[in-house]
Amino acid sequence: MKLRDDTNYIVSGLERSGTSMMMQVLAAGGIPIAYTETRKPDEHNPKGYYELEGGKIINTLMQGTFPFETYKGRFIKITAYGLTYLPAGTYKIIYMERNLEEVLDSMEKMAQVTDEGREDTKQSFKKLNEKVKKELRTKDNVDILFMNYNDVLKDPRTNVQKIGEFIGPYHFDTTKMIAVVDSQLYRQRR
Amino acid sequence: MEEKKDEKKYTTISIPTQLAEKIKKRIQGTGFTSLSSYVTYVLREVISGADTETSEEFSKEDEDRVKARLRSLGYLD
Repeated sequence: MKLRDDTNYIVSGLERSGTSMMMQVLAAGGIPIAYTETRKPDEHNPKGYYELEGGKIINTLMQGTFPFETYKGRFIKITAYGLTYLPAGTYKIIYMERNLEEVLDSMEKMAQVTDEGREDTKQSFKKLNEKVKKELRTKDNVDILFMNYNDVLKDPRTNVQKIGEFIGPYHFDTTKMIAVVDSQLYRQRR
Repeated sequence: MEEKKDEKKYTTISIPTQLAEKIKKRIQGTGFTSLSSYVTYVLREVISGADTETSEEFSKEDEDRVKARLRSLGYLD
């Protein structure tokens, strides 16, 4: 299957909000994605991170050197802060959202820290999320599909259908996509 | 079937003819090349302003806090 070669496709959202799971879902459906395996699967992402540049794509975005042209027609993962450095272009973006307390729980677990300033951290990530969403909505040539991680787990079938409608009239293996939504990954449920 | 590559996504909005004429006069000699480009600009400004009023600003302090957390998670050098 081939996506439009004049468009950059992105999976985004705050870190730990289900972006890796979404990349897995897309890959299972036969939808083109691009990633490197620099960061190996671990206990935090047992099925892999599906990232470019070992997860440090934000560095090259900040430097303005990320080769967007190379990745047209394939989904790549750029987390929310990276999108604040998004150059003008044509994009289709699946933006993942998740209960912020769960996001913070997962971040603390992954960083192996207890955040003493958790409320401040929460407000900062909340504001980042709002800023990015607002900026995307006002940009030309940017189509966004907002997806909620918790909803995807709850009702994978409906959400996979939404992905299909968003990406376009291509053939997907929806059965495999639905199968990827592994409820066991929902370890941070409160 | 794929969409046409150059296809743009626009819709038509009706405004009173009298208002349209006023806008056309107003944009003469400015950088706006059409009534549509001016109206699009104004509407974006209005929407952007409304969003700003309802959400707190992502400050430098917030950004530093986010970056520190991203470093701790290995997403940023």
